[in-house]
Amino acid sequence: MDDDRLTGACRPIRSEERIVRQGSDRNGRTKAVASLFLLCPFLVSCSGIQSALDPAGREAADVATLFFTMLLGGAIIWAGVVGLLFYAARKRRVHSEKNAGRLILWGGAVFPSVVLLALLSYAAWLMPNVRPWFQGADGGMRRIEVTGEQFWWRVRYLDAGGAVAFETANEVRVPVGERVVFSLKSPDVIHSFWIPVLGGKMDMIPGRENRLTLQAEKPGTYRGVCAEFCGTSHALMAFTVHAMQPQDYEAWLLARRASSGVQDAEGLALFLKHGCAACHTVAGTEAQGKIGPDLTAFGERGSAGAGTLANEVEHVARFLRDPGRIKPGAKMPHFTMLPEAETDRIAAYLTGLK
Amino acid sequence: MTIRWKYLIILIVLLPLLGLGFAWSGLMGVRASTGHWAATDWFLHWVMKNSVRTAALSVDVPSLDDPALVPAAAGHFESGCAICHGSPAQGRSDAVLAMLPPPPDLKEKVPSWSDAQLFEIVKHGVRFTGMPAWPTQMRDDEVWAMVAFLRKLPQMDANAYFQASGLHGIGHAGEVSPLPITCESCHADKKLNNGSIIPRLAGQSEAYLLNSLKAYAAKQRPSGIMEVAVGTLPEEGLPELAKYYAGQKLPLRPAQPSVDPTLVAKGQELAEKGRPADKVPACLSCHEKPGGNPAYPRISGQNTAYIARQLHLFQTGVRGGSQFNHLMTEAAKNLKEEDITALATFFAGRESVGP
Repeated sequence: MDDDRLTGACRPIRSEERIVRQGSDRNGRTKAVASLFLLCPFLVSCSGIQSALDPAGREAADVATLFFTMLLGGAIIWAGVVGLLFYAARKRRVHSEKNAGRLILWGGAVFPSVVLLALLSYAAWLMPNVRPWFQGADGGMRRIEVTGEQFWWRVRYLDAGGAVAFETANEVRVPVGERVVFSLKSPDVIHSFWIPVLGGKMDMIPGRENRLTLQAEKPGTYRGVCAEFCGTSHALMAFTVHAMQPQDYEAWLLARRASSGVQDAEGLALFLKHGCAACHTVAGTEAQGKIGPDLTAFGERGSAGAGTLANEVEHVARFLRDPGRIKPGAKMPHFTMLPEAETDRIAAYLTGLK
Repeated sequence: MTIRWKYLIILIVLLPLLGLGFAWSGLMGVRASTGHWAATDWFLHWVMKNSVRTAALSVDVPSLDDPALVPAAAGHFESGCAICHGSPAQGRSDAVLAMLPPPPDLKEKVPSWSDAQLFEIVKHGVRFTGMPAWPTQMRDDEVWAMVAFLRKLPQMDANAYFQASGLHGIGHAGEVSPLPITCESCHADKKLNNGSIIPRLAGQSEAYLLNSLKAYAAKQRPSGIMEVAVGTLPEEGLPELAKYYAGQKLPLRPAQPSVDPTLVAKGQELAEKGRPADKVPACLSCHEKPGGNPAYPRISGQNTAYIARQLHLFQTGVRGGSQFNHLMTEAAKNLKEEDITALATFFAGRESVGP
């Protein structure tokens, strides 16, 4: 009985069966094409302001090269293994035991060891570039201190002596072609600092300072995100990154130090009247609160609410009326009790700050 | 056996129906004129005592020694309780004594209850009697003040009671309770000191006073004492009242030599700069700020104990108040106990300025 079945399985395919099989082949091809189309959306992540595969910095470029090297190597090995599988399935002649032993030794032990060692060496060779351990990050490099807070980023630019030159929020600016050290901190829970196009990520851990060095190579505007779940609005905790030409960067530093929020006296008066200054700073005014994001030159930022909304009056007004609706769990209290005209006016003041 | 079961079932169905039928017939009397049977009277009291005793088992008694607890409760006793229970200034009227059960003379009854039992009765009231619950269930601190007052009540003569409650005399001849009592009975500045839990009102921001009165009336600022007090006032009179107190000058108290200067310095530091590391904002970035929102109250010159109590209420989230009150809940959340002491001490000794 068993023998019958075996021979039956090997008998030539009859014509009607062939038709059925062809049909299922066509069906399979359609499925394959369909799944290729389904995969297309993922191609979007291969470029853009937040793609590690479209690098604009040294560290990210290294990581991307490593990724593509491994992808290519993996593909070749995978093809080889699948080829061997087909070969083994079709082959009728039995290998000698000696040959089989050789195959296991070379293909199963030596080859993987050599490949893995090569990959490990390559990755280890990349590490010092990505991590600052061997570089004495204290010495002379430009330093930016970034603190992850629920759910925004406190960004402090340090001067050569390590003192805070000025503070801003939810926006990082770096000069192109220069290595910058990021001091990463957190006062509340673990966050993770990640600028995919430049490099990272690295955790921000309460009670300690982590360091990450990054070097931008291509000027442009990019996006950084929090890469460690930190609470209800974790997904709404992003920041803008500007990689600037060195001379533009220096000019920005100077301008930023001189910026002040006194041009719009009426807006400022409303801002102060309701107590916004208890938590927020606007340089050059009496608003010196340090609890929430620094709002100096807020109007220049690429987004409002830490990468959540477009930086336009209507959105800013919506945010400051009820932050918890836009960012669940945000610490800022709502101001729905103020007349809309006043919150609109404050939003206009903020978006006007340069 | 089967027959007996049948009878039992008929009995079970029939008895309640008979009871309902009796109640429907109107033959069951509810006349107070005849009083309770002695057995009913005994049973009701027995149940009440047992219930209070058991409920009081889970009540933790705080210290009731603070003399500031008495005046706040005494004023409320006069406006809310004396009408039934009488007071050292005026006994129970015959009308009240005809109630069933008659409200007890507290001079006699209070000593027979423990503090926890009194708390239980005052907070929750007693069903099947005229005794109501405290107007809000969120302010145990007020109920404890009442317990502290009740403990003092049996020893009080009319004069001591006048002093404590702030009653303006016994009124005209033939007048019955409530005796004349006003805002000033409790809030008169000469009665208050830094230990008072009753706030000073003179010179307070008009907008804040009005918002607070409205919040009490709308039960958005839980307080059994103030709900009853504001409840007697017509709503259209509230703006005038707010204006009256806002227009008064707040007399500056002489500096107290007993105050610890390091505590004041610490309070000042917090008030002016806050403590960003703990997300504590500076008080003065909203309060008493020139050009600031008048809905934010003035704190300077306020009683130490009152400030501390309000901060505690904000921290526990029961303070309530105007539409702006949630801002303070957020601000007070991360204050430590010593911060509250320091802030209360600093502000009490500070001279009031704008807005």
